[in-house]
Amino acid sequence: MEIKLTNLAMDFQQTKAVNDLTITIQDGHLVSILGPSGCGKSTTLNMLAGLYKPTAGEIYFGDKLVNQVEPEHREIGMVFQNYALYPHLTVLKNIMFPLKMAKVNKKEAFERATEMAKLVQIDHLLDRKPGQLSGGQQQRVAIARALVKNPKVLLLDEPLSNLDARLRLEMREEIRRIQKEVGITTIFVTHDQEEAMSISDKILLMRDGTLQQYTTPLEMYDKPSNLFVSQFMGNPPINIYKATVNKELKRVELKNSNVHIPLLGNVDVTKFPEDVIVGIRPESFVSETSSKELPQVSISINLIERTGRDTLLSGKIGEQQVRALISSKQQLGNVEELSLYITEFTVFDSETENSIWYFDGEGAQ
Amino acid sequence: MNQKPTLKDTLIGYSYLLPALIILGVFSVYPIIKSFFMSFYADYDFFKDIVHSYGFDNFIYIFQDTEFYKSLTNTFIFVIGVVPASISISLVIAILLNSKIKFGKLFRTIYFLPFVTSVVAIAIVWQWIYHSEYGILNYFLGWFGISPIEWLNDPKWSMPALIIMCIWKSLGYNIILFLAGLQNINPQYYLAAQIDGASKFKRFWHITVPLLSPTTFFVSIVVLINSFKVFDEVFALFNGRPGPGYSAQTIVYYIFEKFYNEWEFGIASAAAFVLFIIIFIFTLIQLYVGKRKVNY
Amino acid sequence: MRQAFSKGFIYILLTIGSLLMLLPFIWMISTSLKTPGEVMSMPPTWIPESWKWDNYLKAWEMAPFLRYTLNSIIVVIVSTIGEIITTILAAYAFSRLQFWGRDIVFAILLGTMMVPGEMLLIPNFVTLSNLGWINQYEALIIPWLASIFSIFLLRQYFLGVPKELHYAAKIDGCSNFRFLWSVMVPLAKPAIVTIALLKAIGSWNAFLWPLIVTQSEEMRTLPVGLTAFTTEAGTNFELLMAASSMIILPMIILYIILQKYIIEGVSKAGLKG
Repeated sequence: MEIKLTNLAMDFQQTKAVNDLTITIQDGHLVSILGPSGCGKSTTLNMLAGLYKPTAGEIYFGDKLVNQVEPEHREIGMVFQNYALYPHLTVLKNIMFPLKMAKVNKKEAFERATEMAKLVQIDHLLDRKPGQLSGGQQQRVAIARALVKNPKVLLLDEPLSNLDARLRLEMREEIRRIQKEVGITTIFVTHDQEEAMSISDKILLMRDGTLQQYTTPLEMYDKPSNLFVSQFMGNPPINIYKATVNKELKRVELKNSNVHIPLLGNVDVTKFPEDVIVGIRPESFVSETSSKELPQVSISINLIERTGRDTLLSGKIGEQQVRALISSKQQLGNVEELSLYITEFTVFDSETENSIWYFDGEGAQ
Repeated sequence: MNQKPTLKDTLIGYSYLLPALIILGVFSVYPIIKSFFMSFYADYDFFKDIVHSYGFDNFIYIFQDTEFYKSLTNTFIFVIGVVPASISISLVIAILLNSKIKFGKLFRTIYFLPFVTSVVAIAIVWQWIYHSEYGILNYFLGWFGISPIEWLNDPKWSMPALIIMCIWKSLGYNIILFLAGLQNINPQYYLAAQIDGASKFKRFWHITVPLLSPTTFFVSIVVLINSFKVFDEVFALFNGRPGPGYSAQTIVYYIFEKFYNEWEFGIASAAAFVLFIIIFIFTLIQLYVGKRKVNY
Repeated sequence: MRQAFSKGFIYILLTIGSLLMLLPFIWMISTSLKTPGEVMSMPPTWIPESWKWDNYLKAWEMAPFLRYTLNSIIVVIVSTIGEIITTILAAYAFSRLQFWGRDIVFAILLGTMMVPGEMLLIPNFVTLSNLGWINQYEALIIPWLASIFSIFLLRQYFLGVPKELHYAAKIDGCSNFRFLWSVMVPLAKPAIVTIALLKAIGSWNAFLWPLIVTQSEEMRTLPVGLTAFTTEAGTNFELLMAASSMIILPMIILYIILQKYIIEGVSKAGLKG
């Protein structure tokens, strides 16, 4: 089911938890609502669930306005961070609970519950109580309970944050598999950008109740709409430098250092403000390039961390800190100085912090 | 759910509260106010429930009544007799019980037994223990060459008799509270202190004592307040009299006497008001100190 | 060596202490089984020469103990069940529902806990006599059908139940009322059992209130009946001890079976209260 939010807002006493949110979520998509804690992502989810009533704006499920519809009539399933399984009921009874409430007859409820348990691969645990299950198993039960009613929308509130790293990876794939198999429109709240990147069709990034960007994971990563988005996405984080634009020489000059980066390609520098911020992702530094003409900078290296696949270099560009991630195949030895090409970077207006130009190796945008 | 409640929410909320609110309103909130007013009933006809005049007469009366002073004094003697002894004995027992011994649970069960027993019934048992001729207490004292004491008939001994029984009765409850307080102390403190080379006694003195002090304080106030309200024990131990020659009359007994036997509702209310003030002061101290100590 | 010595010392102290605690009970039971002659014998005997079980029967028949016991059982059962119901409803409202004046009402009720119950005696007596309930079961039961202390305890327990459980149930289509009875109450069973036990013990042992509101013999509860019995039994201590045992032993048995709940309840309630 397609979900449409228009000018959605939620005020708690003094604070605006969610402010003027307008988006459309396509049928069958998995959308992550991402942001730091307190950004309004859980509030948005709770409004979708009907647990909170919005102060303003509309929520449409398909063509139907659901603002005044109670949670139990919204045809949704929800999975909570702490799973919220009924501790006194067995796994089977937990999964059957929504059906019992909907007065589905016992036999059918049992069949649907066991079928759902098979889908999430916990059919061997039906007689256990939640307390006897591992975190990952409880998670699966919670998903089964959320899906057993055949809801139109599945809501997941930080479902993976109580799991350890390895299990989180596994459950992330599981959620994606189950979602694909059922084909249900799914909204997934998380504060972990990597989780959001890996699982979603689209990401909705929020900050202080306000929408920052709503697009596909790759686009959000490569073409952040503003400085905050660029900083929130990616680990290690993007390198940020204050700079001034030299319009005559068509280049940006990093402050407090002698470094300048040419603005190559088809770019209208005249529209640039004087003060800008340049963002360069650590992996946008390469030591070798095949053909194209790319900006080049010299980095003095303080620390080299090898982590299998990649090598993380920490050092300085001029007076500024820099982190660069290069392939581990590169033999570095004990170099102190290294010349690197920049394949991609983003220029932000330093006042509004909105992005104004992306360099993607070719220039032009 | 985190937002402003609607009228409907409010109606639903109060419909859940209604049964409790009716009972508590009629039998807890209303009587507090009523009691305050009753203490100012200077002239009251209970049978017609008519108040002829209001005034301070009741307060003037009780503050001129030597019997009231006597019961105040007795109550304070009782409090001083029970509280320190009960607190220190139960603290020692709790610490012993907390020292990883076998049968700890069995001991705890035994010490707590008096808490679940009827005051009236056990007071009658103590009457028998205190019996001057055939009681076992005098029999035991006889081993040490002490001649029989008229525990319940000699005005000099009635308060000690009452105090001993009440200490015995109160220990279990205090021990349980102290044990809970002791178990709340993070064992890592002890390990850290042990690594720092603190001896057993020093660990007790520098960790247990300060960290247990909020519990100790709390238990003391609870025992104190309960001691101010002693009645059942007096009534049952002395067969429905406040001890020989009123020697064990406490404030609540005074209230009971004025109210139940003499039908002086106003005077009884005034005395109850005085009791309330005394207890209220200690409650305030508890709240005040409790707030300050809560950050341990 | 020193360790063993100090451990031994602890055991000795605790054993002496528990003997002192048990002594009145042992003495009570021992006396209750003696002949009048043996009761008065010096030095006292701990184990009766012949076990006079019919002392219990004699005491039972000397006063209307059957009636007293029935009264006590009725009062305990009705007031405990009633209080549990009012407590569950109120604790749920105070912990999970949103409504105007919730926090103020709760604060006022908590404030009343500071007032000693003895102060309420007189106005409550007046209220009950105006209602015509003196010397009726109503007077023994109705004022005790709700307790702010119990509400407070259960509310604390309810607050510990994650609110997501409530949300989940709401989404599953479970109404507030149904959620309370099918999820919260089963979850709070230990707390409810504790509250019920403390209430039952308190109600069984209550004295001052039943003394005041009962006038005729047939309305007395066991403790009130027992004090009346002391005049009838006079110095027949074996009968007095038998009667006392009949009041004390049921609660001791209850306690020994369910002591886990009682002791945990007391320590939790105490430290919070």
